[in-house]
Amino acid sequence: MQKILVWDWPVRVGHWLMAGAFCLAWLTADSESYRLVHVFAGAVVLGVASFRLPWGFIGTRYARFVEFVRGPLSVRDYLAGLLRLDPAHHVGHNPAGGWAIVLLLGLGIVTALAGWATYNEIGGHLLEELHEGLATTMLLVVIVHLAGVFSGSLLHGENLVRAMFTGKKQGHADEAIASARPLALVALLLWLAAAGWLVAS
Amino acid sequence: MRSLSILGLLLISLNSHAAPLSPPAQRGEAFFHQRFAVNDKMPACTACHTDNPLKPGQHAITGKTIQPLAVSANGERFSDPAKVEKWFGRNCKEVVGRACTADEKADFVAYMREVR
Repeated sequence: MQKILVWDWPVRVGHWLMAGAFCLAWLTADSESYRLVHVFAGAVVLGVASFRLPWGFIGTRYARFVEFVRGPLSVRDYLAGLLRLDPAHHVGHNPAGGWAIVLLLGLGIVTALAGWATYNEIGGHLLEELHEGLATTMLLVVIVHLAGVFSGSLLHGENLVRAMFTGKKQGHADEAIASARPLALVALLLWLAAAGWLVAS
Repeated sequence: MRSLSILGLLLISLNSHAAPLSPPAQRGEAFFHQRFAVNDKMPACTACHTDNPLKPGQHAITGKTIQPLAVSANGERFSDPAKVEKWFGRNCKEVVGRACTADEKADFVAYMREVR
């Protein structure tokens, strides 16, 4: 076992942009002064999540949904291992983490769309309530995700937060991804710039 | 002749735009126009809702149109208690700089209900 490249650039930068934008959106949620910051943060969440969906099919090995979306039995087994303080190690995402990703991407997209519609006065009070309910649900999933990251990090003796910065995790040399795909990162940033421009106009 | 002039006065009073406000509504009106100056861009309610609650307002930051606050201009206003509390909660904190008291809120609603 050695340190190998697992997370490509779009996964890592997309993750932190989405995390940062979600925090920003949450903190500015009740403010009219920061209303435009809130809308911009929502656009970043929507931009990153909508880029991540196709990237889950054409991205690098551990970015693909087929690699980490597992059935409920796998999730149960992983969580049971976590409770025994001996969770199975996965080079990519563990089964619980995989579902956190699916939920957060899905919630990110629908929350942002509901918010966007509310901002443009489509859908009325009901959609406004839906936007808030979805955002709260998303916060709950974020908290569970963080609990999983910290418990997983401690039990595996592997800093998963740092791995999401460096892209490197424990594994065998032949399990590494070949490239961090910098050009795809450029595509992500261009996509976000387009989304930002769309919001501003 | 006399009954005709009474009828005339009655018509004038019915048509009057300066219908007298109750004391709570008068306090609400003063509160609506009060400059709290806690927030640079939104120093008072009127920053977004304009001096006239019968008219549509304009968001001080986004420029988006805000439906009139006065019930006579917008029948939807103050019909949903949860929504009323939510927006008092948000806007009092940001414009007044603290939560509004129950009296302030009651006076505000009285003004918006009576003004026409």
